Amino acid sequence: MPELPQRKVGLVACSGEELAEGTVTRLAALRVLEQLRPSDTVTICLPLFLAGGQGDRAFARFYPTIAVDGCDKRCAARATEQYSGKPAASVVVSDLVREHGLAQPEGARRLNASGRQAVEVTAERVAGLVDELLGGQWNRRSGSFVEPGPAASSDDPTPAACACASAIPIQKVDVDGRTVALAALPLIFEQFDAAGKAPGAEVTQELLATVKIYNDVPAGTDEEYLVALGREYAAFCGQKQARP
Amino acid sequence: MNLVERKVMVVPCSGIGKTYGTVSREAAYEVTEDQRPQSTQLVALSLLVLGDEDARAAVRAHPAVTIDGCKLACAAKMVQESGGRVAQGIAVLDVYRRNRQLKPLGIAELNEGGLQLAHAVAGEITAVVDDVISREEAPHA
Repeated sequence: MPELPQRKVGLVACSGEELAEGTVTRLAALRVLEQLRPSDTVTICLPLFLAGGQGDRAFARFYPTIAVDGCDKRCAARATEQYSGKPAASVVVSDLVREHGLAQPEGARRLNASGRQAVEVTAERVAGLVDELLGGQWNRRSGSFVEPGPAASSDDPTPAACACASAIPIQKVDVDGRTVALAALPLIFEQFDAAGKAPGAEVTQELLATVKIYNDVPAGTDEEYLVALGREYAAFCGQKQARP
Repeated sequence: MNLVERKVMVVPCSGIGKTYGTVSREAAYEVTEDQRPQSTQLVALSLLVLGDEDARAAVRAHPAVTIDGCKLACAAKMVQESGGRVAQGIAVLDVYRRNRQLKPLGIAELNEGGLQLAHAVAGEITAVVDDVISREEAPHA
């Protein structure tokens, strides 16, 4: 049965090649992805917001995202907000270095001791933010928490995940004459179909509720979305049945 | 033409999700720090993504060699979208196909095969850089 991506936090590192702090962001993000919170985090390459597709650009709406930047140019945070969605949290390595009284990291290619310390400090900060983000109910429309909740446990480890190889699928739908790209809709349809849910008014209401988890549905447009989703899901199921 | 004008920009993708991204990054460092420090300059891809004016100006003013770790070719696309000219786009996977014995592993830290593959990529970049520089230095008719 196809599954929607489980609740995870997205990490976007600037990976700036010119500065040691850029290397710190990369290694800190990898430490969180691979060792500290492997089951709770996923990443994407920053340039994919421009070079990739709609699924890539939906990343920061799909996952509450932490931008990890090396310097105050904040390329990761600003580009994420500009092309994908407002990051849920932001970390700047140069700020952490000052905050912890570390010596200046050096060696973009091979970090010095201070750089390696900065990796640890940054990774710990990011891991803490992951726990905070998972503990709250994230509203993708407002980019903020709906209400606080308990921190999620990480006793179900999974390999570090890169979202660029599995971009969030998008389906374009006509909603009252407007073409709307809905993130995750193909997965949602697959999941409903696999659960044996036949097209109908009640199922369409359920579809809309699920679609709203991953997409912004403007206030006052529920009826239009219900019509569109009912039509598209019926077509999806019809095509499935027609296949040999 | 002065030395600055003869620079070649080196732009790796530094992809974070796959070992080939790390190979691209290591190869870029090898070229810009070890092999051709005088004639090349590293450009951070994140700056191009953000539209940083200095980074955009650098790739507009100089030919670029891009190094990409996957078929999405983010580095090549971003140089082109920034108005730059890609003198040569290097695909790490293509270099690997020609050097199957150099199997890269690891993202945070490359294994020996990855480092050697980066060295092979760096060698191809250096050849391109030398060619670009020699053509720019050649007297025009």
